[in-house]
Amino acid sequence: MEWRAWLPLMVVGTSLAASVGIFLLKEERHALRSGFNLAAAAIKLGLVAWMAVGVLDEVHFETRYTVVEGVSFILRADALGVMFAGLSSVLWLFTTIYAIGYLENAPNRSRFFGFFSLCVASTVGIALAGNLFTFFLFYELLTLSTYPLVVHRGTDKALRAGRVYLAYTLGGGAVLLLGVAGLHALAGDVEFAAGAGLRTLDPALHPALTALFVLLIAGLGVKAALVPLHSWLPTAMVAPAPVSALLHAVAVVKAGAFGIVRVVYDVYGIEFTWSLGLLDPLALVACATILYGSIRALAQADLKRRLAFSTVSQVSYVVLGTALFGAVGTAGGLVHLLHQGLMKITLFFCAGNYAETLGVHRIDELDGAGRRMPATSIAFSIGAFGMIGIPPLAGFVTKWYLGIGALEAGMGWVIGVLVASSVLNAAYFLPVLHRIWFRAQRAPWPDERFRMHRDTHPWLLVPTLATAAFSVGAGLLAGMPYSPLYWAEVVVLREYLP
Amino acid sequence: MSEVIDAFGLVTAPALPLLMILLWCVPGFRPRIACWTPWAALPALLLAFGGEAGAFARLDWVLFGTVLGLNELNRVFLAFTAMVWLAAGFYARGYMAGDARGESFRLLWLATMSGNFGLILALDVASFYASFALMTFAAYGLVIHTRSAEALRAGRVYLVMAIGGEALVVTGLLLAAAGGDAPLLPMLAELPGAIAVSAQRDLIIACLFLGFGVKAGVALLHMWLPLAHPVAPIPASAVLSGAMIKAGLFGWLNTLPLGVASLPSWSLAIMITGLIGALGGALIGVHQRTPKTVLAYSSISQMGLITVGVGAGLQAPVLWPVIAPAVALYALHHALAKGALFLGVGIARHSGGHIGRAWLWIALALPGLSLAGLMGSGIAAKLTLKQALAASGMPAWWNHLPWLMSLAAVGTTVLVLRYLWLLRGQDQGDRASHSVWTGWAMLLVAGSLSPFALPAIGLEARWIASISELIGLVWPVLIGLALADFARRRLRSWPIPSGDVLAWFDGAIRLGAGSLRRLSCGARRVASSVRRSIHDLRHLTAHRANGTEAERFWRRQSALVFVAVLVAVLLAGFTFGS
Repeated sequence: MEWRAWLPLMVVGTSLAASVGIFLLKEERHALRSGFNLAAAAIKLGLVAWMAVGVLDEVHFETRYTVVEGVSFILRADALGVMFAGLSSVLWLFTTIYAIGYLENAPNRSRFFGFFSLCVASTVGIALAGNLFTFFLFYELLTLSTYPLVVHRGTDKALRAGRVYLAYTLGGGAVLLLGVAGLHALAGDVEFAAGAGLRTLDPALHPALTALFVLLIAGLGVKAALVPLHSWLPTAMVAPAPVSALLHAVAVVKAGAFGIVRVVYDVYGIEFTWSLGLLDPLALVACATILYGSIRALAQADLKRRLAFSTVSQVSYVVLGTALFGAVGTAGGLVHLLHQGLMKITLFFCAGNYAETLGVHRIDELDGAGRRMPATSIAFSIGAFGMIGIPPLAGFVTKWYLGIGALEAGMGWVIGVLVASSVLNAAYFLPVLHRIWFRAQRAPWPDERFRMHRDTHPWLLVPTLATAAFSVGAGLLAGMPYSPLYWAEVVVLREYLP
Repeated sequence: MSEVIDAFGLVTAPALPLLMILLWCVPGFRPRIACWTPWAALPALLLAFGGEAGAFARLDWVLFGTVLGLNELNRVFLAFTAMVWLAAGFYARGYMAGDARGESFRLLWLATMSGNFGLILALDVASFYASFALMTFAAYGLVIHTRSAEALRAGRVYLVMAIGGEALVVTGLLLAAAGGDAPLLPMLAELPGAIAVSAQRDLIIACLFLGFGVKAGVALLHMWLPLAHPVAPIPASAVLSGAMIKAGLFGWLNTLPLGVASLPSWSLAIMITGLIGALGGALIGVHQRTPKTVLAYSSISQMGLITVGVGAGLQAPVLWPVIAPAVALYALHHALAKGALFLGVGIARHSGGHIGRAWLWIALALPGLSLAGLMGSGIAAKLTLKQALAASGMPAWWNHLPWLMSLAAVGTTVLVLRYLWLLRGQDQGDRASHSVWTGWAMLLVAGSLSPFALPAIGLEARWIASISELIGLVWPVLIGLALADFARRRLRSWPIPSGDVLAWFDGAIRLGAGSLRRLSCGARRVASSVRRSIHDLRHLTAHRANGTEAERFWRRQSALVFVAVLVAVLLAGFTFGS
């Protein structure tokens, strides 16, 4: 095999090796572990960047290995996969930096970082998986590797949240397995490819295919937090901030959304899905989730819980874009895969900063935080305004593309959902911003640390500002080459409109 | 070469304030930024007078591909907007000196200014909307600057209505852009044509008219305005009422199918809304007790007159080329006059004991005289608008427009007198700083001399041509004077709260919230009783767990017993049934 065949495997392998290496290190070798971690993250970012440039030049990267006759293990770099892999490796780097700062002096760091790397390895595996079998493999690995992170603190609350998390995701995994197996029985080894081969199957099988589609979406919908399968997500908020950030921005929730994108475009094919009449129900579920998440977010007093319900709502933008029949809607959904990741990770970093620096967890304790922590608060404002969809931030690009896409698909009512969601987002984010910037501090901070820093510890601040800057850049410079929008358009042009 | 300079100016005008914000982040620059803030509006003013119509700058990487440019319409808006920001900026430098929240005021000031210039210069929809949003949200901070209870309430009302407006605007823009040639890179100039032929034409027009109408203070969407304009610090009120209120108008002029389609019913509806604002604003305004609230209602009234012009433009496409310059001129006139009147409030308060002097009163009254149509830009604006509306072949009721407009002018006169009346006795004896006087003087001079500067920005100044026109301008003012004198002696003012209809809304909201609370209370009671019964049930079963040995055995084996009985029954059925 030549080097091109090895590259996808190496990308996944980097995180995997990092994970194994970290498990082998002794608990107190902090500096070595951090260095190892950061080096792995940097190497992976470099490899993915290399692959991304290659993919733009139409170079074919594929690792293929036949497990048993008819079942192959395929890792392949296509534009969509590289887009997601790029997001996860960029955010892995920042989250690792953040986690090193966040867990300073905390116990069990070896375990934490080991599973952290494993979690990222599975995410990249999901991104680069070339068929349903490989996808499923990494999807389940993700479930298992995230559990120790969710329960990391070991408190009763954390353990309970972990049980809920496992119950939901393993259940979802079982349903997904049913779907995958069913599809395998009907169509053999299903490779991801544009305009996939399912449409050539006997029309008598269409009802069965519809049923399997529902199974697949239901299985993936658990991780994507589609209503009514979302309840685990707000519960999992007990996890440490970097885990929440990773969970919400790139790993678990996004893996579900990404899976739905793959199933619709690369397994069934958008036209075939459309002809089966499955897009409208999917759009309905997505819209219901968007509105439900926003409404629930309004009622939360805990900052992280509010952000969690916001994720429920925002991730469904991706699903909504997928369900819009047409290039523009697709681009809107795909670009939100990246945008939501950037904005939400910023918000969670900020929530972590407030909690770590000031001991603030509740929204009503945030009064006057802008003066104490201006940089973090600017980052939070950027994330919040982006979520509302205020131009020129990333969220606006998504909203515009989804809106135009909906009109092109003849689903004008979606505009109403988008606008209502924006208004609701404003209703639950702007009061927080008002407190941060325009109210005076009421009482001493519950648990203030890092007094010597103007804002917070640099390890926590730098990643926050970096992702905030990316969120601004993704919107303000949307027309620039290599921007998320540019990538989304490449994916759309190359894969879905051949 | 001049193209390069124009392009540079086009980018600099909105970008310079933002650059200053960035510079402010370096602590060493802060005192300097405080000093430079007023000058941030200068490039925009220079561009308005020196730039060539047709100049544009492309920024392909920004948003979906931003295009900034200068044309006949936005040059006028840029000129007066920049003038108001420049003068108010100098005023603010003196007025806000020593303010505890001065730094945050300056930053928000710069951000709002950048948004205001950006929306005027943007030729594409995305950057227009981006600037509009920046202005809207940054201005919230200006409104609530004092953090008093009224300011916070005004800010809340402002924000809620502004977000509603933004939602309508973005809906309208999306629907309009989807019908254009390039929905992903829509140009503002394409929208009117696309809307005119769109299947959802009426929906789009409604969204855009109401959405921008919130900013423009259209009747029944105006409630935030008399609350927010007065509570802001004086220079912020001046830019709110002088410059930012025109952003709504600018939105209409750029998006509504003016000069493209003939929409008589929309025309009628918008004109009537405008007249309600023009007359109603004056009627409610005279009963207000603070000078700035009176001025805010006067803004509603004046914007109502401009709205009448916009509505008239929808009647027939041929009318628009005549009406458009009239509307732009009127906007300019109102911006300069209203800005000066707002700044005058601070001058009267801190005149250094000069409040009794005749020259000061004349200077305070001058912009008011212009607003009533007897001076400077006021003459040109009123005459041009009246003439534009006097086209032939239009609905019969348009013949009543001249006297209706004169009636509004009566109202304006009374409002101005009420404003001056309320300024009496406001003097606190101290003397405002030089830059405060400079800012005020700049707008006074600009308002008085603007007729001479109009040709430089592509507008034609019109002067009194006949004796009947003169009479038409003078009689409303005389009647207004007489009315005001009569009212001062005979009538007691009527206590209408500022924000007028909002008071009813408040009542309704309180009522609604009360019933909601009762409803949720009821729901909670039901839920808790359900929870209690579930709990009781569990308790019951838990209690049962402590039964005798035999009971426990039966409970454990109950499933087995059940299956056994079932099988027995089935077997019996099969055996004896056949």
